[in-house]
Amino acid sequence: MNKTPYAELLTMLSRHRGVVGSFVVSERDGLSIDSNVQIGVQAEAVAALAASLHRKARLACGAAGCGTVTFLRLDAERGGICAAGRDDLVLVTISEARANIGLLRVEMMRAARALT
Amino acid sequence: MRVAVEQWIEEPLLRFIDDSRVRLVLLLETSGRVLAQHGFTRSIDVMSACALAAAIHASAAEIGRQLDGNAFTMLHHPGNEQQVFLGELPTARGSHILLTVFDDTTSIGLVRLYFTELSTRLAAATPAPAAVIPAPSLGDFESDLNRNLAKLFGRI
Repeated sequence: MNKTPYAELLTMLSRHRGVVGSFVVSERDGLSIDSNVQIGVQAEAVAALAASLHRKARLACGAAGCGTVTFLRLDAERGGICAAGRDDLVLVTISEARANIGLLRVEMMRAARALT
Repeated sequence: MRVAVEQWIEEPLLRFIDDSRVRLVLLLETSGRVLAQHGFTRSIDVMSACALAAAIHASAAEIGRQLDGNAFTMLHHPGNEQQVFLGELPTARGSHILLTVFDDTTSIGLVRLYFTELSTRLAAATPAPAAVIPAPSLGDFESDLNRNLAKLFGRI
């Protein structure tokens, strides 16, 4: 199968300590365009739900007059989900609690700027 | 107004509607007999939609068989403002068809996700068939269809 233009970017994000999956998702459709996930990750479910989450965050920030959403972070008991979007594309990572979120955020923001 | 003709369909379907945020839902047998509906206000619309959904499902399945050797079981048509998703739900009582219409308050990714959950829940909730059900004759089909529509639109 041919690689998408996002394959290298996703591989780079998945090399971070504690990252178990990374995706490029269409926000409108909630479908994964490309993903790099460990076995056991429910990629389709996470892609659909994370895209919906990003869309709602974008609408909430717009309604609140905060402007465009740049980064979304959801912390949970054993890890978290981060998302950074540009136009209709959203870059999503799933990480364990041991991940360095600060470093991951920098990489994701940089990668999101390159999304086309 | 009730959602489903039979009680066992009600809970899984209401959960699907609640989770996926779709606007219109029809659950029908592959013959076109309606089993459940949500969002329709006129029985005539349900009748037409059931006939069309059954025909689309049969056509898509046959195209799949001709092209791929396997029937296509899901179909998605995105419009400018509204989208249609049609999928097959296998149960112990045979295959059913779900037709749903949604807008940009949800997405095809979410609809597919909750459709998969509905399929699991519906398969688990389906009571075992009491006996071999004969294929309905034309007269039976019409009377069954009318009875189900009357149940769904509160006339029974």
